[in-house]
Amino acid sequence: MRNEYIPRPAIIKSIKIETPDTKTYRVIFKDKIFARHFNYKPGQFIQVSILGIGECPISIASSPTQGRFLEFTVRAAGRLTRLIHQLNAGDRIYIRGPYGNPFPLNRAKNKDLYFIAGGIGLPPLRGVIVSALKKRANFGKIRILYGAKTPDELCFRDELDSWNRAPDTEVLLTVDKPDKNWKGNVGVVTTLWNKTNMNNSSGIAFVCGPPIMFKFVVDKLLASGFKDKNIYLTLERYMKCGIGKCGHCNIGEKFVCTDGPVFDYHSIKELPVKERVIF
Amino acid sequence: MKSHLLRKDMIKELCLSVSAKWELYLPIEDLAGEIQFTRLNKRDKILIDRIRLDYKYLTIPPKVIVFPQLESLFEFRGTKIIETLKPRHKKILFGIHPCDAKGILFMNNFFKRDFKDIYYLNRALDTLLIVVGCNNPLDTCFCSSVKTGPFLTYSGDKEAADFDLQLTDLGKQYLVEIGSKRGEEFISIYAKFFTKASRGDVILARAIKHNAEKSININIDIKEVIKRFCEDDIPQHIYDRIAQRCIYCGGCLYVCPTCSCFNIFDEKIDKYGKRYRNWDACVFEGYTRQASGYNPRKEKGIRAARRYEHKLKYDYLTMGKSGCVGCGRCLVSCPVNIGMSQVIQEVLSA
Ligand SMILES: Cc1cc2nc3c(=O)[nH]c(=O)nc-3n(C[C@H](O)[C@H](O)[C@H](O)COP(=O)(O)OP(=O)(O)OC[C@H]3O[C@@H](n4cnc5c(N)ncnc54)[C@H](O)[C@@H]3O)c2cc1C
Ligand code: SF4
Ligand code: SF4
Ligand code: FES
Repeated sequence: MRNEYIPRPAIIKSIKIETPDTKTYRVIFKDKIFARHFNYKPGQFIQVSILGIGECPISIASSPTQGRFLEFTVRAAGRLTRLIHQLNAGDRIYIRGPYGNPFPLNRAKNKDLYFIAGGIGLPPLRGVIVSALKKRANFGKIRILYGAKTPDELCFRDELDSWNRAPDTEVLLTVDKPDKNWKGNVGVVTTLWNKTNMNNSSGIAFVCGPPIMFKFVVDKLLASGFKDKNIYLTLERYMKCGIGKCGHCNIGEKFVCTDGPVFDYHSIKELPVKERVIF
Repeated sequence: MKSHLLRKDMIKELCLSVSAKWELYLPIEDLAGEIQFTRLNKRDKILIDRIRLDYKYLTIPPKVIVFPQLESLFEFRGTKIIETLKPRHKKILFGIHPCDAKGILFMNNFFKRDFKDIYYLNRALDTLLIVVGCNNPLDTCFCSSVKTGPFLTYSGDKEAADFDLQLTDLGKQYLVEIGSKRGEEFISIYAKFFTKASRGDVILARAIKHNAEKSININIDIKEVIKRFCEDDIPQHIYDRIAQRCIYCGGCLYVCPTCSCFNIFDEKIDKYGKRYRNWDACVFEGYTRQASGYNPRKEKGIRAARRYEHKLKYDYLTMGKSGCVGCGRCLVSCPVNIGMSQVIQEVLSA
C-alpha cells in the first residue's frame, strides 16, 4: 500500500511570468526513480505544497510528450499561492499525484477539437493542446477560443501564436476590456462564435474556466450541434486530499478529485441541481 | 456454530492476560464519570477496576481509535520529511456495541476503495471486534430498522464477518458467539477462560435478543426512506426548517460513527513542523468555499440537505447501504434537538 499523503521534493528549473498574478513553473523531481514512474496525462492535477504552509490542487499544464519535467501555472489567489510566487528557480517545492482523470484525447481521434478557455482556465487545457498538436495528423481541425478580462491576463501569449500557425489550427482571442494596443475581439468568450464556424455535430469540446462561463459556453455548444457526451468540462471544488477521502470535493455521490475533475456534460446533467455545478 | 460462556468474574483476569499481548481497548470510566474506549496497558491495576462492559451509551464512538480526531501525517525538519506512519498492528476493541462495529466496517470499506488510505487502514484492518450486544437499547436507538443491532447476526461466512466475537449478557456470564476465524483463534488462545455453552444458555440468549429488539421504540421503514431520498423527493422546506434551528456546530457529525470527512493543515515552529489531519464537518460554511470566494454550498439549507442526503442517498448509491447505523448519537448530542431519526420521520410524513 502506497502512502499517498507524502509529497516528493522537486526543484524549480524555471519560472515564467504569464500575467501580473500568474506564473508558470517548470519542475523536476529530485528522486530520479520517482520521476520515471510519475506517469500523467493532461487534465490531471497535482497537490503542490510548501512545508509548513499547506498544499493545494494545481492542474498539470504540460504534456508528457515534452519531456521528464512538469509544468504548472499558479495564480496568486491566497496565502499558499502567494508564497509559491515568492519562490525562485533552484528552490524546492513538494508535489504528490498525479490525481484525477485526464481529458480523453484517445476518444477524439480523427475528430475536430475545440478548446474553450477563460482566464486561468487555459493552463489545464494546455497539456492536451500540446499533445494534440504533437500528433497533428490524428485529428481534424483544431479551434482554440480563449478569453480573459484584459490583454494582460492572457496566459501563454508566446505559444498562442505558434499554435495558430499549426495546420488547420486557429486561435481566437477575446478580452472583456481592451487596452490601446488590442486589435482583436472584445466581449465574452461566446462572442467568438461569430468569428469562426462552430457548427459541428461530431466535434469534441474541452472547456475550462470560471463556473459562470460554463452555462453560456455549453448552451452555445449544444446549439451548434455538439453532443452532450462530447463536451468535456473540468470542475473546480475545494480539495484537501485529492484521493477521494476527505470529502471536501463531493458533488452528490461523486468526488471531483477521483471521478473528475474532467466530466462530460452528460454526466454533469445527472448531478444534483442544488450543487450548482452549472448555473 | 458452537457458542461459549465467559463468566463475568473472569473478565478482569482475561483482560490482564490479553493486554500483555495486544493493544487492548475497552469502555473505561474516567475520573469524571465519562465512559470512553481507552487503552488498557499491560497489567494496569487501576483501570482494570473501571471497565464498564455494561455501559448504555458512549458520547464519542470507538471510531476514534481507528480514526483519531487529530493525527500527524508526517513531520519535517527544514526540507527533510520524516514519515510518522505507524505499521499495521493488532488491536482489540472489546465491548464495542453492534452499531459502532457496523460503523467501523462501513468506514473500512470507504477507506479501502479507490486510493487506499494507509493511515486509517493500518489502524483498522487488524482490529478485532469483540461486540457486546445491547440488552436494553435506549429510546433514541433505531438500529433494528437499519439492521445494525441491537445484536448482530452471524453472516454465515467467517471471512466476511460483522463481528469476531459477540457477547450476550446472561446475568452472571456472557454467551460468546464466534463470527470469524480471528474470533475462533482468540477463543483457542484464551481457552482457559471459556467454557462450553449449553442449549439452555443459547435459548436464553435468543430470548434476550428478541426482547431487546422488541423494546426499540423507533421503527423506520428504511427501504422506503432510501427510495424517497433516491428519487429526490425531499421538499427543500424540510431542510430549510432544519437550517433555521441548526447552529452549525458540527457536533452531530463528530459523534457519528460513519462520518469520515477531514481537513489537512500544517503547523511549523522555526524549521520544525508537522502536517496533520483532523475531523471536519460538511455543515460548516468554509467546507466547500473555494479560493476565489465562490461557495457552491453557501446556504444553510443546502448544507443541511447534504448532511442527510449523504447518509441516505449517496452512501446507498456508492456503498449499497444506508450510511446511518441508527445509533441515535446525533439526536442525543445536538444542542437544538435535531437528529437523523426525527428528520427521517419528518420526511416520511411530508
Ligand atoms: C482540480 C483543480 C485544479 C486547479 N488548477 C489550478 C491551476 O492550474 N492554477 C491555479 O492557479 N489554480 C488552480 N486551482 C485553484 C487552486 O487550487 C486555488 O487557487 C488554491 O487552492 C488557492 O490556495 P491558497 O492557499 O493560495 O488560497 P487560500 O489562502 O486558501 O484562499 C484564497 C482566498 O480565499 C480567501 N479565504 C480563504 N479562507 C477564507 C475564509 N475562511 N474566509 C474568508 N475568505 C477566505 C482568502 O482571503 C483568499 O483571498 C485548481 C483547483 C482545483 C480543484
Ligand atoms: S446519522 Fe446520527 S443516528 Fe445515524 S449513525 Fe450518524 S450519529 Fe448515529
Ligand atoms: S449537532 Fe445539531 S446544531 Fe450542531 S450541526 Fe448537528 S444538527 Fe446542527
Ligand atoms: S479532495 Fe478529498 S475527497 Fe476529493
